Amino acid sequence: MLENTPVAELKNVGRKTDRIDSVVKLTGEATYVSDMTLPGMLYARVKASPHARARIVSIDTSRAQALSGVRAIVTGEELDYRLGLYVVDKAILAKGEVRHFGEAVAAVAADTLEIAKRAVDLIDVEYEELEPVLHPLEALKEDAPLVHPKLGEYSYMEAAFTPKPGTNVANHTKLRKGDTERAFEACEWTIERTYTNPSVQHVPMETHVAIVQWGHDDEVSIWSSAQSPFTLRNLFCTAFGLSHRNVRVQVPYVGGGFGGKAGIGIEPLVAVLSRKAGGRPVKLTATREEEFSLLPCRSQLTYRIKTGVSKDGKILAQELTMYWDSGAYADYAVNVTRASGYSAGGPYDIPNAKVDAYTIYTNKPFGTAYRGFGHVEFFWGLERHMDLVAEAIGMEPLEFRLLNALKPGSTTLTGEKITANTGNIAKCLQTAADSIGYRALTDQEKAREKATGLKIGKAVVGLHKAPAMPPFTATTVILKMNEDATVTANLSLVDYGQGTYTSIAQIIAERLGFPLERVKIAFESDTDRDPYDWQTVASKGLLLSGNAAILAAEDLLKNAYEVAAQALRANTVDLAHDGERIYVKHHPDSAVTFRQLAIGYAFPDGNSIGGPLVGVGRYIAQGLTHLDKETGQGLPALDWTYGAHGMIVEVDRETGEYNVLKVVSVFDVGKVINPDAVRGQAIGGMLQGLGTAVCEGYIYDRKGHLLNPSFTDNKIPTARDLPFEVEAIAIETPQIDGPYGARGVGEHSMIGVAAALGNAIQHATGAQLTHMPIRYEDVWRALGKKEPVDNWITKSPYGSCRSAPEIQKYDC
Amino acid sequence: MRHITVTINGERYERDVAEHRTLLHFLRDDLGLTGTKEGCGAGECGACTIIMDGRAVNSCLVLAMEADGAALETIEGAAAGGELSVIQQAFHDHHAVQCGYCTPGMVMSATDLLRRNPNPSREEIIDGIEGNFCRCTGYQQIIEAIEAAAGATGTAAGKEADHA
Amino acid sequence: MTRLRGAPEPKAVPLLHEFSYVAHRSLDELLSFLAHHGDETQVFSGGTDLFVNIRAGLAAPRYVADLKSVSDLHEIAFNEREGLSIGACATVNELIANDTVRDRYAVLRTAAEQLATFQLRNRATVVGNIVTASPCGDMTSPLLCLGTDVVLVSVRGERRVPLGEFITGVKTTQIATDEIVTRVIVGTGRIDAAGGYRKLKRIKGHDLGVVAVALIKSMPAVRVAISSAAPTPVLLPEFGADAPVAEIQASAQAAISPIDDVRCTAEYRRFMVDVYIRRLMEEVPA
Ligand SMILES: Cc1cc2nc3c(=O)[nH]c(=O)nc-3n(C[C@H](O)[C@H](O)[C@H](O)COP(=O)(O)OP(=O)(O)OC[C@H]3O[C@@H](n4cnc5c(N)ncnc54)[C@H](O)[C@@H]3O)c2cc1C
Ligand code: FES
Ligand code: FES
Repeated sequence: MLENTPVAELKNVGRKTDRIDSVVKLTGEATYVSDMTLPGMLYARVKASPHARARIVSIDTSRAQALSGVRAIVTGEELDYRLGLYVVDKAILAKGEVRHFGEAVAAVAADTLEIAKRAVDLIDVEYEELEPVLHPLEALKEDAPLVHPKLGEYSYMEAAFTPKPGTNVANHTKLRKGDTERAFEACEWTIERTYTNPSVQHVPMETHVAIVQWGHDDEVSIWSSAQSPFTLRNLFCTAFGLSHRNVRVQVPYVGGGFGGKAGIGIEPLVAVLSRKAGGRPVKLTATREEEFSLLPCRSQLTYRIKTGVSKDGKILAQELTMYWDSGAYADYAVNVTRASGYSAGGPYDIPNAKVDAYTIYTNKPFGTAYRGFGHVEFFWGLERHMDLVAEAIGMEPLEFRLLNALKPGSTTLTGEKITANTGNIAKCLQTAADSIGYRALTDQEKAREKATGLKIGKAVVGLHKAPAMPPFTATTVILKMNEDATVTANLSLVDYGQGTYTSIAQIIAERLGFPLERVKIAFESDTDRDPYDWQTVASKGLLLSGNAAILAAEDLLKNAYEVAAQALRANTVDLAHDGERIYVKHHPDSAVTFRQLAIGYAFPDGNSIGGPLVGVGRYIAQGLTHLDKETGQGLPALDWTYGAHGMIVEVDRETGEYNVLKVVSVFDVGKVINPDAVRGQAIGGMLQGLGTAVCEGYIYDRKGHLLNPSFTDNKIPTARDLPFEVEAIAIETPQIDGPYGARGVGEHSMIGVAAALGNAIQHATGAQLTHMPIRYEDVWRALGKKEPVDNWITKSPYGSCRSAPEIQKYDC
Repeated sequence: MRHITVTINGERYERDVAEHRTLLHFLRDDLGLTGTKEGCGAGECGACTIIMDGRAVNSCLVLAMEADGAALETIEGAAAGGELSVIQQAFHDHHAVQCGYCTPGMVMSATDLLRRNPNPSREEIIDGIEGNFCRCTGYQQIIEAIEAAAGATGTAAGKEADHA
Repeated sequence: MTRLRGAPEPKAVPLLHEFSYVAHRSLDELLSFLAHHGDETQVFSGGTDLFVNIRAGLAAPRYVADLKSVSDLHEIAFNEREGLSIGACATVNELIANDTVRDRYAVLRTAAEQLATFQLRNRATVVGNIVTASPCGDMTSPLLCLGTDVVLVSVRGERRVPLGEFITGVKTTQIATDEIVTRVIVGTGRIDAAGGYRKLKRIKGHDLGVVAVALIKSMPAVRVAISSAAPTPVLLPEFGADAPVAEIQASAQAAISPIDDVRCTAEYRRFMVDVYIRRLMEEVPA
């Protein structure tokens, strides 16, 4: 595993290094927001809508108000704030109309959770039920009810998004490359099919939780289980019209996020409760059930792919149409649409492309960022489609992929030129194929088939992803030297499990030439004390913050050298250092220790120079541009991480049940900073991807009630669901502007797993699957050529994510 | 409210407790022993796993009242004498921790497993931790850590038994 | 305009509804308590169904009565005359660990091992599983195959009811508010029978049974029970040792009435019942 990583010369980077945060987590000492209580703290509960769409006729809080111990009750009517990352479309509490099942309509803060719960039960809400619009394709119809009739009045980020007032379209992302019409005419084959998947929940083990204290003079303190303290602060200030200096966000240990905690969530609601309760701190902890419907999910997708191929198997043209189900609010879904739009063709060379990606409002819990940022969803369709096309043109699927893979000289959909240092997708595909013995069954596998009666299938899929972020994405790392010449780094990229802090500690140690034990990363993030970071999302953390860390280390050394030069009466150019001291190169005995320099150097007579040593490293993404709104052309990608999964499954052709025997995941990470961390991301993400592929997903009835908002009917993978054998392999094609050549790999492991499963099942049995998750029943239905299950409860397209009649007829 | 006496990690605690209080909330909210986590409150996820009178249980589905007179082991007691247990050390060495939220429950399940079965097969390890969800790691490094801890069990068993 | 009170609230209760906890030392005390307060009391042993229900707002008792404090309810005992007696507080893991169960009532153990997770089985009881009377209860089908009586007591006396009659519908039983089940008795009639239990789950890990079949060969008879395919687990009429598989399948199809729900369609449930019957007939030794 990762044996191909050269570790020569480097002392920290690339070496096996224990996580800097695991001991406190193993002893239970690590404090998460869910563990915190503050003096005088109140507990909040939310009254949630039982309807997908309804007019709020009245809310009577008088019985709740009368309860002893209730300190504040808020309803939507009394609040006049709008929130939104990219489209400002959401109220803190539903106002006038509820737009999805589980939406908050009122909230209570009380002395105890028990009282808060009783109070919520005593709030009477009268609704007038309205017909919800549930399927994005229904929502596109002329006569569909509008989820946001006032869309035209909302403000939005105009450089990147295009909402369509008077419709349910929150954004339309367009991309035009070459001339698809002409190209399709020249094609030998044109193959078209539609792929679907439902909404999915992130399931961080720590649910969303926040404590907010709205103090005097509008000084607001927020403790939140959040991924992005600065974005949270920014959105909070914008919503309430507060100065950034008023609001302090603190993030201690975070029990997982996966994108679900990337933006702003329950904090504004908790804040208004605190304000109304006279400034007492208020805590709201989402229940697991609330996690599914009060908080956002991953968007459902319907993806239509039309591919034109030349006689010799080259893809000449693609028409890619995505219908993203935003749910009731736009949140990150519009940006998922944008990022997926420019990445929609996968790691393949596509000379002519036409992409139309729509974000569509419906009356369902809203979609947000989720590990992979759209790529898990659309790669399901894309990599299934690559197999379909290969089959249709009579080419071996891996050969077809390799023939069309991006290589130096090819251009991406947005017109970016691929170079030798972008990464090597072909090598990822080959390595995955070799590792699973892709081309044939081994004797052992043949014997296994005989013994079990199950049929074995193998598949290899490719993947790519670049961070989805604004061109001006930036970060800072501050490095402070302590009295004993250890260093403490402050940054507000959040390590909510990925292990980035350990990698950054390694990078700092490497650059300073210090042993790792001398480097501390301050774990809690605090917008008052730590420097800015945009967000902890998009697999950009290691690249941007790693570079900032290198610059901070260099700055610290430069500052130390300047003082040392005076102390030693030498030129800085004549100095060098080891872990302990700075010395004159040609008189190594002429030296000062870092200890002597740490807080300022004192001459023997007491005269002192310098002062406490700090290093500052600022880094901003280089050379990125906005995309042209009509053509989608431009430079959006900080880096492209390529990867591939190889999978072996065995399938029971009678029942559709299957076992995943092996998964190998290969990523071109540029440079492995921490082998175990890369492996942890690779395997952890792969299993999360397998959850998406096998069993996870929201199921609604025709009225838009979510029917499986808990672990009882929304299963996630357990230890028993881990494939029998898993392997992670890193390829290292250095990223020129990455720290030590590294690029991000946090999300990629989850991408493409579902398609690998679908393809392997098809190779074993011939089952044609176009919807994930792939339940055993779905395989059985596909094999028996039975109608797929649309919606198990209603047998109606409403509430189902699988299909809508008008697009099914395009199917081949 | 009723008065109960519980021994936790060898120390006695006496408290008045609400009768509907779960053991999980008693530990976390009444005693401030927040190492034990809540992931679902419904018996599904195992984040709340502790050892009660020698048996691993989901403390979210146990009443504090039921623990009157019982001996409990929680994550706070796992590193006896300030030294990581063999299992904790193995988790550390094998990168079996990411966000850490499942970790306390996972360590308690693993501790219970290795006491019952010092040399578990991979299948038996999976049996022992199937009730503990981990959303981050994909379990592989956890399984490897438990295998390694089992390998070191000659020493582990003695040490574990000491502070049992 | 409709005022919808009965519409499903998003279930989200972070803590238990407030109740009083009672723990009686003796059965008599408990029974006389139930004689007075039975209609506002829920007894429990493992609490793995009860507390989940209270949390979800599906139960709101004023009292919960802990059976574990009553002595004599814990035992798993066997004698050749009566058979296997499983006390109200015997946990599923205790059943799995029991030698007699392993050696002479193997199908029970096979099914028990597939119930929930290890730590949950440390609390969950066999009797609790039966009284919950869920269509998917993993203990019910094998117990039906083996022939089981439920022993109910109250201040009014004791009665013994066959398991098949005890469960009356989805999560309903014959139990009166002042009664408790002290134990179940698995008869000797089908002792030493070879058997199997097949449970369809959505993942490899722990899950409720989407559909399940228990089958024993207690020569000269074959007995089959099916879970999650009707309002209650269903025991089929007994078959002869040489009954063709198709006959058993036809009988099963006539006896079950599965539904479409979030877990599965009725169609697939029916299909899997046939598959499981055939496979169990093949793999269970005569
Ligand atoms: C996460 C999870 C997973 C689960 N998985 C499964 C599974 O795979 N298969 C399965 O079958 N079940 C499963 N269950 C359900 C449950 O664990 C079982 O039904 C268990 O056997 C119930 O036993 P208990 O002792 O905990 O019941 P309790 O909760 O104590 O009682 C259940 C009900 O029976 C009544 N009751 C209990 N004992 C008596 C008695 N002696 N006399 C009268 N009334 C009584 C109680 O009042 C209550 O209404 C699961 C539950 C959870 C939380
Ligand atoms: S919190 Fe107890 S099992 Fe999830
Ligand atoms: S480490 Fe995050 S849930 Fe296990």
